[in-house]
Amino acid sequence: MKAYIMTGDNLGAWLDTLARDFTLIAPVKEEENVILFKPVKGFAEINLNYTNSTVSPKGWIFPQTEEMFYFSTAGGQINLTDVQAPRPAIIFGLRPCDIKGILTLDPVFNGAYPDPYYQNRRENTILVGLCCTRVERHCFCTSMGGGPTDGRGADLLVTEIDGGYGLEALTSRGEELIHRYQGYFTPDQHSRVILAREELGQKLAGQFTRTVDTTGVKEFLDQNFELPYWDEIARRCLGCGICTYICPTCHCFDIFDFAPDGERGVRSRCWDSCMFSHFTRMAGGHNPRPTQKERVRNRFLHKLKYHRDRYDLDGCVGCGRCVTKCPVNIDIRQIIADLQEVAQHA
Amino acid sequence: MKIQEKLREIARKLLAGGEAGVVIGYAAGSEVSRVVPAFISREEDVDRLVWNPLCINNLVKYLLDYRHEPGKVAVVVKGCDSRAIVRLLQDNQISREQVIILGISCPGLINPDLVAARLDPEAQIKAVTTSEQDFSLQTEREIFTFTRDEALLEKCRYCEHHTPVISDFIIGEEIPPTTPLDPFTAVKALEELPVEARSAYWDKQFSRCLRCYACRNVCPACTCRECIFDQAEPCWVTKANNLSENMAFHLIRAFHVAGRCVDCGECDRVCPVNIPLSLLNRKILKDVKELFNVPTPGTSLEELPALGIFTNSDPDEFM
Ligand code: SF4
Ligand code: SF4
Ligand code: SF4
Ligand code: SF4
Repeated sequence: MKAYIMTGDNLGAWLDTLARDFTLIAPVKEEENVILFKPVKGFAEINLNYTNSTVSPKGWIFPQTEEMFYFSTAGGQINLTDVQAPRPAIIFGLRPCDIKGILTLDPVFNGAYPDPYYQNRRENTILVGLCCTRVERHCFCTSMGGGPTDGRGADLLVTEIDGGYGLEALTSRGEELIHRYQGYFTPDQHSRVILAREELGQKLAGQFTRTVDTTGVKEFLDQNFELPYWDEIARRCLGCGICTYICPTCHCFDIFDFAPDGERGVRSRCWDSCMFSHFTRMAGGHNPRPTQKERVRNRFLHKLKYHRDRYDLDGCVGCGRCVTKCPVNIDIRQIIADLQEVAQHA
Repeated sequence: MKIQEKLREIARKLLAGGEAGVVIGYAAGSEVSRVVPAFISREEDVDRLVWNPLCINNLVKYLLDYRHEPGKVAVVVKGCDSRAIVRLLQDNQISREQVIILGISCPGLINPDLVAARLDPEAQIKAVTTSEQDFSLQTEREIFTFTRDEALLEKCRYCEHHTPVISDFIIGEEIPPTTPLDPFTAVKALEELPVEARSAYWDKQFSRCLRCYACRNVCPACTCRECIFDQAEPCWVTKANNLSENMAFHLIRAFHVAGRCVDCGECDRVCPVNIPLSLLNRKILKDVKELFNVPTPGTSLEELPALGIFTNSDPDEFM
């Protein structure tokens, strides 16, 4: 693993160049208190003064609306046309929890049944991580096996250091990117970058306001599907899609056709949410998750159990977004703590 | 804290006497700056109920979940929330006999972000005092004072009804209507812009809508049994997230709540990407008030929604 150093000025110049050569996706201050990952034309549009973006950047690998193909049934024939392949992209500024979010999605879309749409974007997108410089109130990544300076999964990891930035190439793709733009960097001869990153990691470790312990929670849920606890949580749940849509690991979708003239149209897949009442409604009208209780339970079981059953990975990376945004304070950290308490008394 | 004690006392009586099956109120949340909607049905849980300047949620919509349950439901409402009760009553969503309204005379609430920034998340609020100038929150160890200027919640700066407009109990001293700031200042500023600029403004806002439908789900004026945005057949608005579909969603919803929106501010509060929904709904509110010379919807049971009735004096230049 090789490390490099760049000055602050060079970071700007490098990003301007990247924006010219690639589709560059980076954090942008959209409004007061709203940070979104968006395509940018250069460094001037980027905002690095954030910890977590309002919505996770997963949409750049798994878009909220992905056009799959165009179709036409004109003249009694079915014709399908592929959509244009996305341009090679770079996502700059991914926080460690969001990188881990992508690693959580990988086995779903890129595992035993590779999904060409996901695969295509994933392979065409270089991930540039950025170590956090402060811990937000709801962050609990360290409790979920990650950490604010743990960039595993990125191609390149950037750390703010004294007088500039340190870069570590974590994959050959990251290394190639450095080589292609080598004028912007100098090799890190004295392990300054690693040392700075470790020091930062130690400093940030003390800033977490709440840790959670998932020990035994999955095993308890394995044995206990029916719990009155879910009624309690569901009672106040609004059944909206906030938590699932801003989450870096939620990945449910629906597929539908849009053909205004009935002959030509596009088939798309769009994010869907297990919290919506219609999510499991079947063609005949039957709904196997008839009330909010089953839906809420599904979401938390997916995070804390099913994803581990299937892929041996936690389904939550501890980014804290759903904690911040839930209008009725359904707080996954509290749910984990409550379940653990119930488990201990069971 | 007098209000909190009084509230618990009334709740306890209602549950003990079997008069109410459940009391919907607020309980302490997962951190000091948050409260959670609480559904108290046992006397021994009554002490979970809290009242403090962080009790923002409008709890009225939960009444719909009890429509088909036997027994009465008691619900805690602030002035602004109480207009939502009128909304549900006028829309025949609930019956007056089924609800017991625990009205709180509300001096205004605190912006929870400021509380989060200053207080330890694990702290517990032990006592609250509010004065004309400030809010003081007392925790186990310290007293934190916030001036109203810095901390008063935005919507409370425009408060029309501190004391609920409908109630069975009024808890706390009645606060007469004050002269609030002009709620339409922001609307007027936007109205001044040329049409292209206004259009660009809303395009930018609606573009980032996630269509999570939190604004709809929380809204006491959104009570359709099946919302058209959930209908699969016919599919009026697709799940595709793009400006055109997002715009369709917002305009349809704005018109569906036109003249019925009680200006409770909940849609604005819950939006995860800070789309200024109050601005949109207040524009319509302003138009409705000017055209029909009516008070804010939900102000009184007798005043039916302007667009829900017809009188010969209605403006009809579009016909
Ligand atoms: S469940 Fe919540 S905290 Fe966990 S990854 Fe998703 S949004 Fe983040
Ligand atoms: S708007 Fe009025 S009644 Fe509503 S919370 Fe604010 S001060 Fe209280
Ligand atoms: S709450 Fe906000 S993001 Fe969600 S649907 Fe409403 S406007 Fe869109
Ligand atoms: S539209 Fe918004 S402000 Fe109006 S009643 Fe519904 S939630 Fe309240």
